[in-house]
Parts: sequence; structure tokens; C-alpha cells
Amino acid sequence: MAQRNTFREDEELEEQINVHDLLRVARYLKPYLGRVLRVALVVVLMSVIAVTVPYLTKVMIDETIPHRDLRQLGVLVGILAALIVLFECGMRYRTLEITRVGQLMLKDMRRDLFTHVQSLPFSYFDSRPHGKILIRIVNYVNTLSDTLSSGVINVIADVFTFLITLVVMFAIDWRMTLWSLVLFPLLLLWVRVLQTFQRRAYQKLSNKQSNLNAYIHESIAGVKTTQTFAQERAQFRTFQEQQNDVRTAWMKAVHIQFLMWPGVQTIATMTIAFIYYAGIMGFGGVSVSTGVLIAFVGYANNFWNPVIDLGNFYNQLITCSAYLERIFETLDVRPEITDRPGAAELPPIKGKVDFNDVVFRYEPDGRNILNLVDFHIEPGETVALVGPTGAGKTTIVSLLSRFYDVSEGSVTIDGHDVRDVTLDSLRRQMGVMLQDTFIFSGTVRENIRYGKLDATDEEIEAAAKAVRAHEFIMELPDGYDSVVEERGSTLSAGQRQLISFARVLLADPRVLVLDEATSSIDTRTEEALQDGLRHLLKNRTSFIIAHRLSTIENAHEIFYIDHGQIVEHGSHEELLRQRGAYYRLYESQYAMIRAHTGAVD
Amino acid sequence: MCAHMYVDQTRNLKSGNLKWIMPYCRPDLPRVAAAFVLFCVNNTMAMIMPLLSGLIVDRVITQGHVSELMRLCVMMVVVTLVRVISRYGYQMWMERFGQNSVFRLVSDEYEKLHQLDFTYFNHTRTGDIMSRMTSDTDAIRHGLSWVSYQVADCVVMFIGALAVMFVIDWRLALALACVTPFLFVLTRALASHAHPLFFAIRNSLADLNSMVEENIEGNRVVKAFVREPYEIERFEEHNDDYMQRNMKLAMNSRRYMPWLDGLGFSLQLITLGFGGFLVIRGDMTLGNLVSFNSFLWMIDGPVRQSGWLINDWQRFNASCIKIRRLLTATSRIVERPDAKESVHQAVSIHTQVSGEAATSERIKGEIHFEHVSFAFPDEPETPVLKDLDFFVPAGSKLGILGETGAGKSTLVSLIARFYDPTYGRVLVDGIDARDWPLDMLRSQVNVVAQDTFLFSDTIGGNIGFGTRGGRGDHFIQHMASIAGADDFIRSMPEGYDTIVGERGVGLSGGQKQRLSLARALADDPAILIMDDTTSAVDMETEAEIQHHLQELDTAKTIVTIAHRISSVKDADLILVLEHGRIVERGTHEELVAAHGRYWEIYRKQLGLQSGQSQGYGE
Repeated sequence: MAQRNTFREDEELEEQINVHDLLRVARYLKPYLGRVLRVALVVVLMSVIAVTVPYLTKVMIDETIPHRDLRQLGVLVGILAALIVLFECGMRYRTLEITRVGQLMLKDMRRDLFTHVQSLPFSYFDSRPHGKILIRIVNYVNTLSDTLSSGVINVIADVFTFLITLVVMFAIDWRMTLWSLVLFPLLLLWVRVLQTFQRRAYQKLSNKQSNLNAYIHESIAGVKTTQTFAQERAQFRTFQEQQNDVRTAWMKAVHIQFLMWPGVQTIATMTIAFIYYAGIMGFGGVSVSTGVLIAFVGYANNFWNPVIDLGNFYNQLITCSAYLERIFETLDVRPEITDRPGAAELPPIKGKVDFNDVVFRYEPDGRNILNLVDFHIEPGETVALVGPTGAGKTTIVSLLSRFYDVSEGSVTIDGHDVRDVTLDSLRRQMGVMLQDTFIFSGTVRENIRYGKLDATDEEIEAAAKAVRAHEFIMELPDGYDSVVEERGSTLSAGQRQLISFARVLLADPRVLVLDEATSSIDTRTEEALQDGLRHLLKNRTSFIIAHRLSTIENAHEIFYIDHGQIVEHGSHEELLRQRGAYYRLYESQYAMIRAHTGAVD
Repeated sequence: MCAHMYVDQTRNLKSGNLKWIMPYCRPDLPRVAAAFVLFCVNNTMAMIMPLLSGLIVDRVITQGHVSELMRLCVMMVVVTLVRVISRYGYQMWMERFGQNSVFRLVSDEYEKLHQLDFTYFNHTRTGDIMSRMTSDTDAIRHGLSWVSYQVADCVVMFIGALAVMFVIDWRLALALACVTPFLFVLTRALASHAHPLFFAIRNSLADLNSMVEENIEGNRVVKAFVREPYEIERFEEHNDDYMQRNMKLAMNSRRYMPWLDGLGFSLQLITLGFGGFLVIRGDMTLGNLVSFNSFLWMIDGPVRQSGWLINDWQRFNASCIKIRRLLTATSRIVERPDAKESVHQAVSIHTQVSGEAATSERIKGEIHFEHVSFAFPDEPETPVLKDLDFFVPAGSKLGILGETGAGKSTLVSLIARFYDPTYGRVLVDGIDARDWPLDMLRSQVNVVAQDTFLFSDTIGGNIGFGTRGGRGDHFIQHMASIAGADDFIRSMPEGYDTIVGERGVGLSGGQKQRLSLARALADDPAILIMDDTTSAVDMETEAEIQHHLQELDTAKTIVTIAHRISSVKDADLILVLEHGRIVERGTHEELVAAHGRYWEIYRKQLGLQSGQSQGYGE
């Protein structure tokens, strides 16, 4: 397994964002291009209206007032009123559409992220704090909202305004126009220099935010542990350190961001001052009338506004790129375990399972977790795996569902290599009850139904009865409709196991894997459970991992696993006769209980 | 415990959100005052710029004073420089102000979080708390460090420009001022409609967060059942809901924004129509109308912007409410204000009377349940524990056996005071658990919980969690070997420096349990409670652990919850729990001799263990 990331460490970013990444953003824009262009058109029309208003004032001052023409004044008022109505209609349209386009894009992006994350293997989730995955799907995407909607649309409108203004300026006086553009390279340079720093600053910020998020997430998840150890103060100090890192990174980042506007504004003013100077002094071959000069100053202002807006957008884009990089990085993580091209559906499993000299290690150069595991199971057999913790029992059953791929050898089911069939068809027929039970927030019924989404209430109850969960469920305030909270925190560990047990049974899998399924269940319930279980194991290939040997005595075949190898195998009686590791385990368990047993017989 | 928080939440319960946030801002208010000075400089400079342009037109172009051109041009640049520098200054100060205030706020949230009791966490989703501590807090930061000066800008400009306009021509200014009532009515309506919408957005975001969080946590189950499509479908529901909530807000904006914007626009209409009328009637000069016009943008902008700022303000409010709910959530487990002194006193009196040496710093480990009954505060009708009455002397061993859901875990959580008994008392060293300072009680009563939670840290760091690096590596290793974890830790590639993922993913159940036991041992508690801690550990290892526990340097009261007889048989007292009631009690021998429930379980385990073929059963 790769080096795990913790809340303390920044995540290294492998790739830098480039034009290609920006084009990827554009892909999200594409389905809504029509809408975007429509809104942009409306925005341009609105700015045309806004530009017309000063003209109306000019008409009033130049014509209406000198002629004392009240009728014309009435007409002007009428026109302006009509324009305002028109403008506000555009406003109405724009307000809703910009949000819609932006939200649709964010929704798509979030869905893509979530869908992709679903396809990632355990190792992805195991190797980084969950808070860091969470922040990408929810928070980072949200930060893009303004940039993607109003930002993009305004940019389209701004570019348009910019070009129009430039054309008009050239038409009036091309020399003067060239002089007004003389400081433009300076502006580009300024933007370019800031951009480099800003990107770095925002990358740092996003890293720190990610760390903080991971820490908060872990703090909430581990709050009971913290309280148990009365370590609130120490946790609080670490939290403040993390929060302080974010604050420092934030201040650095905005510091650079805030420098953008002063630069642009100063260059704009210098340009205007220069236009005045050049125009009036007839500098550099310029010779213009006062009217043209005044008009030019006006245009220069108009010209700079879109430039400032573009600068701001660029600013936002840089800010976002730090988040975009993270988002794309996540989208680019290739799941290690995927369907082979042309993988076939696995036909309904009969239950023959073969491990052919399987070797497994997490990393190519790592230690062998499993070493030449070789066994062959006939359909309908029950196999038990016993052995010390960490011997590799859970790993063996994980290979069966192809949660990991073997390093050498092969795992076949009914003769099909698990790597040659679709994951979906494979896992759908496997029922795995994991060591860590997980209960979703919702009702008990919903939790059991997770095993088979279209199960009827009767089926759910039948499954619950089979695992002896029915009794305690009926004792809950609302029976099957009782709400269980996140992780089932209001249930006892044993109750959680029973619910997840019922969930697996409801799925009616062809191959059943029970990994320490009954470790927290009391003896009486377990005994009752055994009856139901015997019935369920019939005609189903099953793998059972257990420490309590009582659970597994009736298995057809028992494997004693140690250090990634099968050391002994055979039926309970055979193994006892061999007097090997299994026998010793058995004897010690028995002896431990029997130690004080004088009284019983 | 409230002493640690920056602001005592009980003081501002009823006040508005602004007044509530004030104490968090207070230490940085001088910064705001300084920012305000720069803000004034910026606005003054902004007003000077048009005057300079006017001067160039009047003095240089019209009157031909070409020699002044250079100086005026330089002045324009200088004024701009002053302006941008002052603006940069106040923006940075306001940003710092917002960051500092939020730092204090979020610290309080974090602190509060750790004061809340199990009941709260059992019913509050992680994603929900997450979104309060991240997005909602960020909305407040945005409100403090951006919306604040935008509002100030609008108000100052509006009032300032209107005042200047009154000086120029009171009639026209009065006509313009007529929009104020409409402005007031519209913004009020917008605000009241937007408020619930923002609140709904925040809630929807919290739901989305929780859903994704749960999905990530449960990724193993999702994969095991191939429920990815189902999860994606569920996600889409939340994703869509969040979008729809945002659209609802946009619909509300669509309803009000055009009117507010039109109101701003109508100022130009009034100036044009009424101003033109006045000039034509001869009641106003043309020059006045022109200068009036040049100030128009200063009042028209704020009116047009008002709607968006109201939206920002409501977002701020919605987030405030969510955070305030977290901060004012009441914990049922509260330390007595005089806990330290009273316990100290109680211990010293006890020492004098009994002659035993004792300190209030170290708990001896005596546990006494006095007719304790308990029901969860949120389900008062269902008693979980019924009239428990037992006594465990310091340094002895208690074993608890019982069916799934019989109340075993609840029982032990009363000892560390994670819940308070509904009736009766739990005494630790003869003192009511409610009277102990919480820190002290919990640091010495250690529950090794059923769900083992490990932090994403090194194994060594996890074991040393309770000691915070106060003990050396040797100590950590010693504790690990007592808990039977040393062997497997050493076999890992990086030994004690191996980083375990959040919740210890990557380790087997038995390994996690042993790590959490080692962590509890390193904390050196006076009362060690093992809640089914060895269920996933094989029996041989378990026996070794029990053997090691007896060799510990300091005497500990050990409470063991288990299903296996072998785990509890050596206890000095064994309680058998059924439906929250003690149905049997005694030592292993007594209970076996009694031929009751314990005997039955014992026989079953023995019988099942040995197999009937061996002839040990019936």
C-alpha cells in the first residue's frame, strides 16, 4: 500500500494545470453553450442600453433644453422609461439563467466526481483521510460556482465590448489608439508576474484547507475517543495550529490577489494621463480636436473597464485552478481494478472456487501477504479459515470478490478467472459480510434492504428472523421503521452485526463470505443463529472466518492459515487427529474454559 | 469548561446575529477603525479624480494654460496611487479582521464540539457538523471581511452624494430621495423571502455533505454489494436538491432584483425628466444639472447593488443561525462549577477519617452502583438499565456477561460519565461521578470501546494518544507488548512508524482492538474498562493479554465485557445482565454451582467448543 497521507501532510500535486485543463472545464460548458451564448447576448444588449443613456442626456442638453421643448422632453422620458423596462426584462432573464447554467455545470461536475470516486479501489480510501475526499466533491466544486457562471458570461460580454470599443477607437484616430495601447504590455507583464505567485499561493492554501478539513473530519469522527482520553486540550491546540496555517496561507494568497486591481488601475490612469498629454501637446504625430480628445478619454475608460473585468476573471480562474487541479487530479486517478476490455458476464455461479498458487502483495516490491495459496473447493462446500490475526484470512476472501488483484497465480470461479469477468456480475453474486459492520443512517428496514433493493417487507423480515435479529428489532420503538443514526451509533455492536448479517442473507448470494460475522454476538443468540445458518449454507459455497471454533466445526474443510500460507487443511476430525496447529488451538480454547471446570460435571 | 471559550454563549442568546458576532470581532476592532480611515482616503481620492479631469478640460483645453498640464497629469497618477494603496491597505486589514474573528469563532465551535455528550453525537451526522465548521464559517468570514465594507461603501456613497445633491438643488434631490421608501420596502421584502431560502440551501448542503461522507466511510460495504449505481442515484437526488434550492433562490432574486435595479435606473429617469423640466422652467441652471448628473452614478450604484448585498447578508444570517445552534446545543453532561475544590475536600476528609493515604489527583478505582436505572434522554420511555446495585473494590476485577443489547456498554459508559443515571447514583471512590471534574474522571477511567477508532497517525502516535508524547518509545513498546500487539507491529514494514489510515483501515479487526487496548494501557488509567475488546482476537492471544494485565505495575480496577466465558471467568465478581437487569452475580465457581443462566452459557460454550463427539456435552 502506498504511503498514507495524514492531515499533517500536504498532498503533492503531480501535474500542473495547463491549457488542456482549462479546455476540460470548457467540456462542462459545452452542453449549455446555447444557453451561455443566449445569456451573453442579453448581457451585451443590456450594456448597449446602458451606453445609450448618456446619449439621451446629451440630446437633452444639446437640443431639448436650448429649445425649451417640453414635448421632446416627454419623448425622451418615454424612451428612457421604455429602455429601463427592456433592461430590467433582460435583468430578469439574466439573473435566473446565469444561476441555472452555473448550477447545472456544478451538478455535472459533482456527479462526475462522485461517480468516479465510486469506481476507486479500497486503497484509495485507505490511503488518505476521508475529509480530503469530501472537500473535493463538495467544497471545491462550490468554490467554482461564480467563476463558471457569471464569470464566463461576463467575460464573453466584456470581450465583445472591448473589441467594439477598440474598433470604434481605431476608426476615430488610429495613431491615438496606438498611443493608448502603449502601456498594454506592461499590464500583461503585471498580470503574468502576479499569476505565478498567485497560483503557488492558492495551491498552498488549498492544501492547508484540505489538511484542516481532514483534521476536522477526523476530530468529529473521533470525538468519543478524545473524550474517553480527556485529550480535548491537546486536540484543540492541534486544531488551532491547523487553522492558523490556513489563516496564514489565506492572507498570503489574498495579498497577491489584491495587488491585481491596483496595478490595472494605475496603468489605466497613466494611460488616460498620457492621452491627455499626447493629445494636447500634439505628441508623436498626433493631432486631434478637443471633441475627439474628450471622446477618447471616455472611450479609454470604457476600454479599461472590460480589461479590469477580464483581469478579475483571470484572477478568479487562477484561484480556481488550485481547486480545479485537485478536482481533475481526483478524476484522473485510474482505478487499479477495472473490467478487462471485452470482459464477459459471469454466468450464475455454481460454486466451484479455485485458488491456483496465489501470491499476493500490496506493492510490487513489498512483502508477500499470501504465499502460494492453492486450494480447490467444490460447489456447495463450506470452508472455514482459522489462524492468528493478521495471517491473511481476510486477504484471501478479498481476492475472491476481486477487491484486490493477485500478484501471481489466479483465482477462478467455475473455471472463470475473476479478472476475465465483469466486476459487476462477479460481486453481485458474492455476499460478503465484512469485519467492520457499517450501518447507514436511515431505518432498520432500509439498512437490511441494502442487500436487495427490491426486497419486499416479508423478505426483509424473513432474513431478519433467519439471523435472529427479528426479536430485538421488534423491541425497538418503531420496529423495522426505527431510525438508526450514522454508523448505527444507537445500536450495540452485536445488533449491528445481526443487521449486516441479515443484509447479506437478503442478497441471496451464490458465494457467501462471513468474516468474523458473529464475534460480538452472545452465545445464546449465536446458538440460535447456527440453526438458521446451517440451512442457509446448504448448497452454497461459503467461506467462514472465525475465532470461535464452535462456529466452524461443521465446515467441510478447515484451513489453518499462518503467515500467508495454508499450514493445515482437512475436516475438523481429520485435523484433530493430525494433532497439529489446529489441534493445539482447539485444545487451548477448550482448556481455557475448562480451567475451572471442577464444578460443572 | 466555558472558561476556555472565547465567548460565553449564554450571554447573547436572544440578540441579533450582528450583536452575537460582535464579541468575536472585538479584539480586532482597532484594525477595522484603521481600515475605515483608509477607506475614507480611498473614497475621497475617488471623488477627486473627476475634478482633475474637469480641471484639465477647463484650465488647459478651454483656457490654454498648457504649462499646468504636466502637473495635472502627474497629480492624476499620484491620486490614483494613493487611492490604490489605501484600498489595498483596508482590504488587507478587513481580510485579516475577518480571518481573526473567524479563527476565534471556529475555535469556539471546535471547543464546543468536544464538550457535547454522546447523546448529541448519536443524533447528529458528521457531515452536518462538518458543513457548519467549514462552509457556514466561511460564509461568516465573507460577511465580515467583504460584505461589511461593500455595505459601508454603498451607504457612504449614497448618503454623501445625496447630501451634495441637496446643496446643488434641493427640489431634484428631494425627488430622488423619494425612491428611498420603495428601496426600503423592496429590500425588506427581499430579505424576508431570501432568508428561508438561504437556510434551505445550507441545510441541503449539509445533507449532501452527510450523504457523501457516509458513502466514503461505507465504501467497503458499497463495493461488497455492488451498490455504486444505487449510491449514485441517491447522490443525484441530493445533488439535484441542492441545485433546486439554489434555483429557488435565483427565482426569488429574479422577482426582486429587476425592481431594485429599475429603482436605481429610475434615478436617471427622474434626473432627465424632472431635472430637464426644472431647467426649462428656469428653476435650475444647466450647469447644476450637469454636475448633478456627474454625481448620479454615486447613488444609482448603491441602489442597484443593494439587492445583491441583501442576499449576501442573508447568507451570513443563515450561517450564523446554524453555527449558533451548534454553539448553544446543551450538553447533559456538565461539570459542576466547584468540582475541583469539592472533590479535593471530600478526599482529604476521607483520608483523615479512614487513615488511608489518598490524593484527589489519582482515583483509586472503587466503583459503586447504587440502584441505578437508566433510559436514554431521547427515549425516556424505554429503560435500558434497571435497578443495578453492585460494588467493586479498588483493584479488583468485574466481569459482565449478557445478551446482545442487554445494556452492557451503557452500564460502563456511566462510569466514565458519558451519560448520567436517570435514577440512582454511580460512585467512583465513594464520590458521585457527577461531582468529579470531567477531565480527571475520564483521564483515569478508560473505556476501550467496541468500535475502535484510530487516528490517521503512526501506530506509535496512536498508542501514545493519551500521553501526548510524554513517554518514551520504550514505554509505548512495553504497552504494545502487554496488549499483544508488539509482534505484529514489528512485522510491519515501518514498525511503530507505520501510518494507519483513519479508523485504522488496513488493519484486521483483532489488530485494531489490540492497538486500542495498548492505547488505553499507555494512558495508565485507574479503571480500565474493556468493552468486548478481544472479540476479534484469537483465544490464545487473549489468554496472553490477560496474563500480562496481571503483571501491570499499578493496580487497576478492570471491568471486562465479553461473550466468552474464558474472558470473564477470573473476575472477582461476574454480573449476568438480561434486558438491563442483573439476573445473576457471583464468582465463576458460585455461578457455575448455581446452575443458572451463567452455567447454561458455560455449558454451551464448553459443549460447542469440544463437540459432542468428544463426549464433554450432555
